[in-house]
Amino acid sequence: MSNHRAGTDPDHPAESATGARAVPSVEDLSRMSHRELEQLGLRLDDTEVHVLSEPPPPGSIAEKRAERQVALAFGLATAFAFAFVVVFWGAGWFLPDWEYRIDGPLFGALFTPLLGLTMGGALLFLGVGIVLWIKKLMPHEVAVQQRHDGPSPPVDARTAGSTIMAGFDRTGFTRHKIVRRSLLGAAGALGLLAVMPLGGLIKSPDRRDELFHTSWGEGIRLLRDDGTPIRPSDMQPGSLETVFPAVEGGNRQADAATMLIRLRREQVEDIQPAAGQEDFGYEDYLAFSKICTHAGCPVSLYEQETGRILCPCHQSQFDVTRNASPAFGPAARPLPQLPIEVDEEGYFVARGDYPEPVGPSFWNREKS
Amino acid sequence: MTPSTPLSAAARRRRRQLRRKVGRATALFATLVVTGGLYAAMAPGSAAEDATDSAAVDAGRELYEQSCITCHGANLEGVTDRGPSLIGVGEASVFFQVSTGRMPLARQGEQAYRKPVVFTDDEIDQLMAYIQANGGGPTLPSGDLRDGDLAEGGELFRLNCASCHNFAGRGGALSSGKNAPNLSEASDLQMYAAMLTGPSNMPVFGDNQLTPEQKRAIINYVQTLNESTDPGGLGIGRAGPVPEGVVIWLVGMSVLLMGVFWIGSKG
Repeated sequence: MSNHRAGTDPDHPAESATGARAVPSVEDLSRMSHRELEQLGLRLDDTEVHVLSEPPPPGSIAEKRAERQVALAFGLATAFAFAFVVVFWGAGWFLPDWEYRIDGPLFGALFTPLLGLTMGGALLFLGVGIVLWIKKLMPHEVAVQQRHDGPSPPVDARTAGSTIMAGFDRTGFTRHKIVRRSLLGAAGALGLLAVMPLGGLIKSPDRRDELFHTSWGEGIRLLRDDGTPIRPSDMQPGSLETVFPAVEGGNRQADAATMLIRLRREQVEDIQPAAGQEDFGYEDYLAFSKICTHAGCPVSLYEQETGRILCPCHQSQFDVTRNASPAFGPAARPLPQLPIEVDEEGYFVARGDYPEPVGPSFWNREKS
Repeated sequence: MTPSTPLSAAARRRRRQLRRKVGRATALFATLVVTGGLYAAMAPGSAAEDATDSAAVDAGRELYEQSCITCHGANLEGVTDRGPSLIGVGEASVFFQVSTGRMPLARQGEQAYRKPVVFTDDEIDQLMAYIQANGGGPTLPSGDLRDGDLAEGGELFRLNCASCHNFAGRGGALSSGKNAPNLSEASDLQMYAAMLTGPSNMPVFGDNQLTPEQKRAIINYVQTLNESTDPGGLGIGRAGPVPEGVVIWLVGMSVLLMGVFWIGSKG
């Protein structure tokens, strides 16, 4: 312990640095203990260790107490880990008929919190034990390594650089032309391999026209989610129904979701349809795309008194009586309106597809 | 019997028309008699019930004239910028507005909020009778309102209600300071009345849009949600996975940081 303060004289670092370079012989090295070898390494690295505090001496009462504290923490970690196992598997031992139900007995309400508590406790006390071990049973030291001024001596710099270059020469990369070229070819091919999957992310919106059109078309019925058609008498004034096209899988098509809205009586006079879309509604019914023109969220927060449709994502608001044009928020374009009529059996049908692409803007949207 | 004389074509036609007219009048009379008789036989209520009904209507009118007339007008016609007409809103609407304390309104604002109820149950019944007697409208259902299919109710709730009322029925914001209320305090009957009448800005869900069975299924689902405990302890307002993540992150990071500082300062 007395030679723990090792290394150099802080007043003469340069001198002691040269003195520390004296390396013992192989026989001396093999006779030295771990501790002595560590001291030697520190001296060669010009490093000085200041001991701030020693752990309690071996066999002392303080050491025994610290050991007991660490062991208690690890013991508690073990106990919590076992408790976790008991809770997790144990239901089968002492409550064979128990199964998790929302309204089940008390054990059900405690099950998840107990799992969390026991696992958390095990990890916590493991950590506490490690911290106590470090703080109470290990010496506290500060190591100071001298920083030398200026670049390395020219000899070191040149020889180190040459070592690297000689290694590169020995690979024969410049000499074996065929190896070099085949390697570069392989590297290029591997690069292509890495880039290729990105190509799948780039799609032309013009291909198959899928961004420009939905499944709606002339004579296609408006169906509820459960597949039933709708008559004009089915809905009350001031109501909304989400409808889908009567095609295979229509209620799973993200771009086809449509809001069928029946206005309140006093709102009917206020309808200001867009130019060329005067006949898109049917009496007091209007149908608009449910996909927000800002970022494509479903807009179905309908306020029947104010006639506003809200988008929950960014608070855009659309005014139903004014052609669902944006009244507030980031959306810039009105919700596209679906032309509707009633077929000879008395059910709502579309008179055609939306006159414009639904949903958010994309780069060549105007090309349609 | 007069000997059959050949009648002129015109006379025959006149007689046929007369016969047809008499026949039609007889049929109409018979139909009216049958309908009236059926109505008398099947219409609810005897004379005694009519008497209590009209007493309730009178009591309701009295309450109306004390508490509601300022905004809804002397003849239920409504007052501009104060309150809407109540003709045809029906007893269901009265029940929802009054039994949740929304009416009488405390002050004009963006919308009416749930507050302590002003009227007793009997008084609410009287108000309902008075409004129902003037213009009719949606009526309240009877029986168990939770006998619907739970899974179907969940499906319908997420499709029709969750966009405003949050997927756990905890409500959410609307435009200009309005909001969709939390459903945790709503009774079965209040939920049913709300769906039927569409109070304030809530869309109406008539019986042809959501059948009574579907409404009961939705109520069963919402009340099951209200009664269920939060698995895992704290519900954090059931506001969804994002707030839950934020809470876990903030609390967890704070604890970890405190631990790091503690270890670092004592090390």
